[in-house]
Amino acid sequence: MWREPAQRISERALSLWRVYGAIQAGVTLLVSIAVGGAVYFWDWPEWLLAIAAGIILMELILSVWLIPDLRWKRWRYEVTEQDIELQHGIFIIQRTLVPMVRVQHVDTEQGPLLRKYRLSTISISTAATVHKIPALDEQEAEELRRSISSLARVAEDDV
Amino acid sequence: MFEPKRLHPVSAVINFVKGLKDSALPIIALIFLNGNIFSGEVEWIPLLITIGFLLLVLGGGVIRWLRFSYRVEQGELRIEHGLILRKKRYIPFHRIQSLDFSEGIFHRPFNLVKVSIETAGSGDLQKAEAELTAIKREDADELETIISREKNKRTIEEEGIEEDRVVSSREKVYEMKMKDIVVMAITSGGVGVVLSGVGVFASQLTEVLPLGTIYSEFLAWLRIGVLVVAFAAFVILLIAYGISILLTILRYANFSVFLDADDLVITRGWLEKKQMTIPLNRIQGLRIDENLIRQPLGYASVTLISAGGAIQQGAEHQLRLLPLIKKREIEKVLHQMISDYDFDVEWNRPPSRSMRRYILRHSWFAWVAVIPLSIFLFPYGLLAILAAIAFTGIGFLAYKDAGWNLSDQQLTLKSRFINKQTFIMKRKRIQSAAVTQTILQKRVDLESIRVTLKSGVGGAVARCLYLDQQDTRQMMHWYRPNDTVEKRSDL
Repeated sequence: MWREPAQRISERALSLWRVYGAIQAGVTLLVSIAVGGAVYFWDWPEWLLAIAAGIILMELILSVWLIPDLRWKRWRYEVTEQDIELQHGIFIIQRTLVPMVRVQHVDTEQGPLLRKYRLSTISISTAATVHKIPALDEQEAEELRRSISSLARVAEDDV
Repeated sequence: MFEPKRLHPVSAVINFVKGLKDSALPIIALIFLNGNIFSGEVEWIPLLITIGFLLLVLGGGVIRWLRFSYRVEQGELRIEHGLILRKKRYIPFHRIQSLDFSEGIFHRPFNLVKVSIETAGSGDLQKAEAELTAIKREDADELETIISREKNKRTIEEEGIEEDRVVSSREKVYEMKMKDIVVMAITSGGVGVVLSGVGVFASQLTEVLPLGTIYSEFLAWLRIGVLVVAFAAFVILLIAYGISILLTILRYANFSVFLDADDLVITRGWLEKKQMTIPLNRIQGLRIDENLIRQPLGYASVTLISAGGAIQQGAEHQLRLLPLIKKREIEKVLHQMISDYDFDVEWNRPPSRSMRRYILRHSWFAWVAVIPLSIFLFPYGLLAILAAIAFTGIGFLAYKDAGWNLSDQQLTLKSRFINKQTFIMKRKRIQSAAVTQTILQKRVDLESIRVTLKSGVGGAVARCLYLDQQDTRQMMHWYRPNDTVEKRSDL
């Protein structure tokens, strides 16, 4: 009964998250270059550079390498006729259960980067909460959206 | 009641006052612009603008009253208003969830009420669907009767029931005693609100007064002694406390709850009377709060979690079903109103291995803060240790007060952050449930549960931390819709 949900999200999510991590590190790099300029021109203390380098290194290790890996391994979901179950989280593992009768509507969304990787994020709304499954394969997300919205039959008077 | 009607003329005055309140800022700005009006030198243009502005607001109020009409026609409430852009709003009776009445100081002398009409799915969530600013009490009652008659006729037609329902079978199920109101006022957290009000006022004051002088005065003060400041603060606190007590008593005087067919009707207030209607089938759950002062005295308050259409500001206040009641009386009183919620249940507790986690969760930041505070503010900083001990105590209480119960259709969770909260929920009203577990908790089989109900626009979250993994899984299993037959009977 208490097994992990069966489905994984797309493997391309890994590359996508790494790109996000790289962008983040890039922003830090720009800031560090500015700091380097300040050190050079206005004699700011040099240990600032060491700190900046440390932060960039940490970011490369964590945001580009470790976190996307762990996150992808943890992300699981399962949709049955009765309910939707999600599991995610690196340090805090969260498992969510949404009965199908509570689902009010389903949306898919796709930003420019997601489109490049042919991925799409699906969000499932109940009357009170929104649950997202990030980075599903485009077509899979579309099928899922269709099947959830046909399964969802909200009992009006309960809301 | 079929010919178009106007609101009572007083509503023009109310519109005017409301307009003034909304445009307070520009008016104040204008007054400052011709600030030297008393020194003889009058600047005519700003003055004229001010007068023109006031006339505009006044005229607006009167015109809005003149052009506003409402009528009852073909099972609909029809409202028409607007000067240049004529707006018509037709609300079918069967879509009306409730009529809420309130009486302000302008309403009282003429026996008038303000009627707010709430519908199931108002697009604009901040306002009621429609509002009749001031109409005669009798008219309001008549309107209520017509609407409920039409609604009943409709359901009878739909369901084919012959029996003619008595339209108004209002039955009083609870009345708050004056003693309880006073106790509530004394133990409420309203002090904080008034204090922050005083703070805002004071910060406004500093902008007007010559700051430099005050600052030097203040230094002199400091030399006299901290005692004076402390005393002044104490007096301000006391006055604020007194005001908040008075306000609470005014607001909650004559608090009573009626059961009217399928609605709960809450009426309260002394200077301003409020009446609030909550359809029973919109109730999502109950929340019972006990703050640190009330809990040892055996008092608690009960709040409805309702999916109501329009959520106005301070709705939380309006949904207090039992603002203050002895805890042992809750079960009895509640059963007269909503019979399917059980309050007295057997509690299951978190295991003893989670006590440490509760205490850490509540006090780690205080202990961390102790170190720098003690070092940098040496003698007084040590006082932080006392605060940290207090937080540790609250952590222990949080462990003591956590609990859960599962019955056939009901989940009850109690927990404490600062105040103790108990949520009573029905299975079919729970929107989603989640369990969380950190990697560290995984080794000792502890899990936290988090359940969301619909409340107004958003959600109300009930949680219980660090329970035995088997218990949380039992709750998730209970919530999981795994049996088709059972689910059908549920709906």
